[in-house]
Amino acid sequence: MKNKLTKEEVLHVAHLARIKIDEGEIEKYQIELEKLLNDVDKIKEVEGYDEEKMIAPWTKNTITREDKSGEMLNPKEVLKNAPRHSGNYIEVPIVISDGEEA
Amino acid sequence: MLDKSIQEIHEALKNKMIKPIDLVEEAFDRIEKNKELNAYITLNKEEAIKRAKELENKEVGNNLLFGLPIAVKDNIITKNLKTTCASHILENFIPIYNATVIEKINDNDMIIIGKTNMDEFAMGSSSRTSYFGAPKNPWNKEKISGGSSGGSATTIAAKDVLFALGTDTGGSIRQPASYTGIVGMKPTYGRVSRYGLVAFASSLDQIGPMTRNVYENALLLNIITGADEKDLTSADKESEDFTRLIGKDIKGMKIALPNYFMSDIVTKEIRTEVEKAKKILEENGATVDYIDMKYLDKVVILYQIISMGEASSNLARFDGIRYGYSIENPKNIEDLYLETRKNGFGKEVKRRIMVGSYLLSGENAKIYYNKALSIRDDIKKEFDKVFKNYDLIIGPTTTTTAYDLTDSMDDPSKSFMDDVLVIPVNMAGLPGLSLPIGFGKNHMPIGLHIIGNSFDESTIYQLASFLEKQVNLDLDPRKDDKNV
Repeated sequence: MKNKLTKEEVLHVAHLARIKIDEGEIEKYQIELEKLLNDVDKIKEVEGYDEEKMIAPWTKNTITREDKSGEMLNPKEVLKNAPRHSGNYIEVPIVISDGEEA
Repeated sequence: MLDKSIQEIHEALKNKMIKPIDLVEEAFDRIEKNKELNAYITLNKEEAIKRAKELENKEVGNNLLFGLPIAVKDNIITKNLKTTCASHILENFIPIYNATVIEKINDNDMIIIGKTNMDEFAMGSSSRTSYFGAPKNPWNKEKISGGSSGGSATTIAAKDVLFALGTDTGGSIRQPASYTGIVGMKPTYGRVSRYGLVAFASSLDQIGPMTRNVYENALLLNIITGADEKDLTSADKESEDFTRLIGKDIKGMKIALPNYFMSDIVTKEIRTEVEKAKKILEENGATVDYIDMKYLDKVVILYQIISMGEASSNLARFDGIRYGYSIENPKNIEDLYLETRKNGFGKEVKRRIMVGSYLLSGENAKIYYNKALSIRDDIKKEFDKVFKNYDLIIGPTTTTTAYDLTDSMDDPSKSFMDDVLVIPVNMAGLPGLSLPIGFGKNHMPIGLHIIGNSFDESTIYQLASFLEKQVNLDLDPRKDDKNV
């Protein structure tokens, strides 16, 4: 990581996270994100990394279940928490717009 | 009544001297009196009273937990009871099913009294990232209760209730337990089902009991463990009685104390208390050896990478579409995501999601996340080596006692560094408990961290209960009239 995060880099990271940040917040994020990225960058100094090693978070004593159908949630109940819904469907705004800025 | 021993309460219920409703009312009275501590986000008053009355028609039997009120951290979902994760984005979220641990609590006739305050999505170490304001430490209301399970720690320390559930991703049960002078256990990863726990870092998160003493801690662990087909990372282990070694003497026990845990990152007063505990153990026939362990100074980096990476992925589900807060009149779907997440999440959470997204993007996943997992595996092996020769590992739980609520939150690394002594346990998936062993300056509690081998919670309880009896602390903040 470079010493200082550029404005574009901050906006890129915010976009990856799907979080809007205002023009006025960029400078604050430049400092804060840079601090954290400098922290995690120290991992590069740790030796002994075997790239070929198979990694699963936990493999000991885990369980499996039978592949069978069970009870499902009641759609009416599920929809109670949805901000916008109609009938048995959750509503979403336009996904692909017609040439307009998305 | 709630100050009596669990056996006395149980006998009183059994002999019909009291009813569950008496305990519930007493708990709500105390919570009301301690309102200023801000331990709760939501109280479950109506439902708790209803449930207490229902229990009047049921046999008490031999269940020591029958009719007892319990507080639940607000990232564990409860059917028909608001679950916010202390976030604006879930401020009005009402779950439609119960977490597995909640089903188990209900099956064992305990009564949920409310949902406790915490850091937003459990991200923090002082509970100050809560959308609802931070809880206060019952020992000194100007101090933090720690975090992220700060509300659960507060309500136990203040003696509102005997039992609470917390969650621990990088110390979030043990660190607040230490700051507030209570007992907090993070069980082995997989011991307790995570079904219905709102995920922060899935490979680290674990639910565990927070209580006023060791015995009651083990009792609560007894009922929440077990394999669950709704959580395939839950462990296929027979249930056991975690109280079974409590009261046994510790002669011949071999204990390790890593040098790093006693280095100058820890304040002198805390090291002194740990030395005192060490001496008690040695006087009673245990051996305590200073040892060297690799990687302990690297755990915070690994924790940052793994937890922020996993968080960025887990919190992608908060999109303003299916549940939770959503902006009005979004222009299109991208606008809906960006604005909802901007307004819905707090500062700390946004920062962690952003860094996490970066760490997992493209080639970075290999450079950071995969490497962190690989070194985590090496840490696990390092612990395995120690447990070949030792029964338990001890050390301080925290580097300082609880600090001021007004201390700066500007340094984004600080909340990670607070947990440097407790994170190794999450990295290795091991069980760990914090036990109050003394007080520091201004009478703030100090905790001893006891680490066990995988699935060996019982030996931790054995040592903890032995020490608890030996140090015999007065852990009631109400006795000092400056406090509660």
